Amino acid sequence: MTQRTRNWLLLAPAGAWFLVMLIIPLSVVFIFSFGERAPAGGVVPAFTFEQYANLPARWTAFKNTMTLAPIGTLSALLIAYPLAYFLAVKTNPKWKTILLVLVIVPFWTSILIRSYAWIFLLGGRGIPALLEYIGLEGVRLINTPFAVLVGIIYGYLPLMVFPIYVSLDKLDKRLLEASSDLGAKPWRTFVQITLPLSIPGIATGCMLVFILLMGEYLIPALLGGGKVFFVGNALVDLFLQSRNWAFGSAVAVTLVVVMLITVTIYMRLISRLGASREDVSIM
Amino acid sequence: MRLYAACVYLFLYIPIGVIALFSFNAGRHASQMQGFSTKWYGKALSNPFVMDALETSLMVAFSSALCASVFGTMAAVALQGIKGPVRTAFDMLIYIAVMIPGIVIGIATLIGLVTVFDQLNPLIATLWPEGFEPPKLRMGMGSLIAAHTMFLMALVVIIVRARLAGMDRALTEASSDLYATPMGTFLQVTLPTIFPAILAGFLLSFTFSFDDFIIAFFVAGSETTLPIYVFSSIRRGVTPEINAIGTMVLAISLLLLITAQLLLQRGAKKTR
Amino acid sequence: MTNDIDYISKKKFMEELERYRKGSITRRHFLNITGLGAATAVLGASVPGLRPAPAFASDIGDRVVLATWPNYHDPANFEAFTEATGAFVQVNVFGSNEEMLAKLQAGATGWDVYVPTNYTIEDYVKEDLIEPLDTAKLPNYDASSFDPRYAEAGSVDGTLYAVPKNWGSTGMAVNTKHNDGNPISSWKEFFDISMDKFSGRAMVHDYQLTTIGSALNYHGYSFNSVDPNELADAEKLLIEVKPHLFAITSDYQPAMRNGDAWLTICWSGDGKQLNTDIPEIHYVLGAEGGEIWSDYYAIPKSSERKEAGYALINFLLDPQVNATEVLAHGYPTADEKTYALLPDALKNDPILFPAQELLDPLEFGAAVTLTDPNRAELMARFKSA
Repeated sequence: MTQRTRNWLLLAPAGAWFLVMLIIPLSVVFIFSFGERAPAGGVVPAFTFEQYANLPARWTAFKNTMTLAPIGTLSALLIAYPLAYFLAVKTNPKWKTILLVLVIVPFWTSILIRSYAWIFLLGGRGIPALLEYIGLEGVRLINTPFAVLVGIIYGYLPLMVFPIYVSLDKLDKRLLEASSDLGAKPWRTFVQITLPLSIPGIATGCMLVFILLMGEYLIPALLGGGKVFFVGNALVDLFLQSRNWAFGSAVAVTLVVVMLITVTIYMRLISRLGASREDVSIM
Repeated sequence: MRLYAACVYLFLYIPIGVIALFSFNAGRHASQMQGFSTKWYGKALSNPFVMDALETSLMVAFSSALCASVFGTMAAVALQGIKGPVRTAFDMLIYIAVMIPGIVIGIATLIGLVTVFDQLNPLIATLWPEGFEPPKLRMGMGSLIAAHTMFLMALVVIIVRARLAGMDRALTEASSDLYATPMGTFLQVTLPTIFPAILAGFLLSFTFSFDDFIIAFFVAGSETTLPIYVFSSIRRGVTPEINAIGTMVLAISLLLLITAQLLLQRGAKKTR
Repeated sequence: MTNDIDYISKKKFMEELERYRKGSITRRHFLNITGLGAATAVLGASVPGLRPAPAFASDIGDRVVLATWPNYHDPANFEAFTEATGAFVQVNVFGSNEEMLAKLQAGATGWDVYVPTNYTIEDYVKEDLIEPLDTAKLPNYDASSFDPRYAEAGSVDGTLYAVPKNWGSTGMAVNTKHNDGNPISSWKEFFDISMDKFSGRAMVHDYQLTTIGSALNYHGYSFNSVDPNELADAEKLLIEVKPHLFAITSDYQPAMRNGDAWLTICWSGDGKQLNTDIPEIHYVLGAEGGEIWSDYYAIPKSSERKEAGYALINFLLDPQVNATEVLAHGYPTADEKTYALLPDALKNDPILFPAQELLDPLEFGAAVTLTDPNRAELMARFKSA
């Protein structure tokens, strides 16, 4: 058996899998997006751009996603960075592993159950009740964009902390020492050495979180009370309520295209910022 | 700085604490504490639907993690020795599989498979021998495992490839110089080196699959996985049973996480 | 069998029920004292539906899956069913007929029994998703004892596809504490107060029929209208009110109970449940109209445990069991035999059985609303707006 045949054989299962479970389904979605809604729901084959022309009807969902996804990513970054820095630079190595594991543990509980905890915490008997206690009455948190944002940050914080931690941990501590020996203020050391060197970690973390947020359904569904709608919610609605497969397919195709464009632009920006593209790996 | 870290940890753990606290609620509401009791644990464990959902979830997670690890590793190894359009095509597929939101994978798999099955089922029925009930393709555990395996496979390829890239070429070359068969080289040199990566890929896949809601929501047909069960219970007005399930799942994943960590550390020491 | 049991007085029954709900007596005590215990204890042997074949109980398998609406059953009855037949009942809760239809259209669901509303059954038949019922397997179903108004939608072209569960109305529930003790009485008031005093405190359903229907009522149009101009008016109102809503959901009880929300579109039984526990929450019908509906039990074509499905429906149709269901969910029954077993307090309850002149303006949902693409898309636009 030549090496060539062997490689082909090794690739065959994965290739077949991708063909049946990725290429064919995505092609069906693409084809359906040019179809028409069947009277009772579903799709009838056609060739029309009607579905795409109807996209403005979901403008708000796209707008919500395209605002809350970057805001969520950025907020997670702002909260995660100091923690990652603390863990990588300031923590006694003895405690490092345990503290790091403690960051990941919540991520290992179902996001459903974690969001459900927030339904209670943000609901009338949770934080608002506490606020009432100190005299702030009538604060409403649940079913607002703020609630969704809290859920997002909470859900994806570990994903942000981890890559940043890894890049900061790789950083040569002697560099920092040298910098302060040369009389640089801690702030300057941070801006000129630490921050630039941690950009690959930031980039990876942001991309991970951003990608997941673009397709988010659960957190807005549970914490947004049907009022904060992401594209993901619009999709579930189209397939599981109004049964408009044709329009749903068009929205799905658009979401994927928007995502690919955003991520490509993002990667260009990052590589211009100095991180090489290889550093921005998915995992 | 330390205070800040403490605050973040509080933020991370208060909701989990709340879940755990209410799992011991004696009352039947998930938002009002009425005394201490462990009865909801008993209820959850004796509820056949919870147990069934758990079994389904474990089955799906194990099967898809296994398939993904095996086929993903095979593909990663093969891709090391391939250049040209096939390599580019595979890189693209892996990129797409990881990038596409779960919700799109779920929807695409659902309508893709339903459409294909609608074409295939009559065909199978005509080909099937008279007098026997022809098998019917439909959504269920098979389609769920297949959908999970697809994107987890891409994940495994990425993880294993990173490890393969870091591997010393000289080792495999030395091995074949010593007239080891390719299979021998693979088993004795390559596999031990990449094993920690495969294991990590398997564990990661297992968790992803076990936790996945959105793909299963569309693809699972009549099967109920644990996240689907939890989702429909949240809508039904929750009892602390859900809290008990969540607390147990957390405890078990914690146990697995620690075990995996220990295994990986040992593995890392060995290969060093 | 039903004649063998000494009924306690209706008043006593209600008292015991209250005590049971407050938790001061155990279920067993409650069941014993009310005679329901005898019923459940001898179910396997004496409920007519379970008697015909001795092997029946074991034949139905170990489970049955029911797709239903929130807060719609007495869990104790499922436990009794399991005790009698060995089959566990899995309850899957849905928020709308649209969602049920979408799930069934997309392929196997695993459900054995579901509860379609009157206006959807015709479409299920057209789509070939619903199993014609064999009345021989439903000995507890006595067509003659049902009020035809609430039973007729179960038959399409002379074939029986679904048997009545209960009927009800769709009105609104309002927490009068926040309105100086005053209830509201029309859809006009509902939407006006939602945008004013109750801003951030009102909820509407997350499916098209009732949410669009009440917005149509606001303008004085028919609840079932598919007229594009009338729908446009309804959409304008809904989009305008959306920023003021607390939530768009069909599971509104939790938010009403914990005080987060003060006003919601509400099914009568949920209104009854809320009113029983929190008396300042009133259930009212819109003066302009609204929905009157009837829910049915049916078996999906794709069910693989049809025998279990029949057994569960038959069990739930037993007047004695059905009466406890009514006590739990608070929706009126169309079955004379079940009605006869209800305590007077319920028979005279204005939420369950409103005065005829209040019912007169209500309409049954029309099948066309379920499949009308404009209504579906309007609802989706409203939600994503």
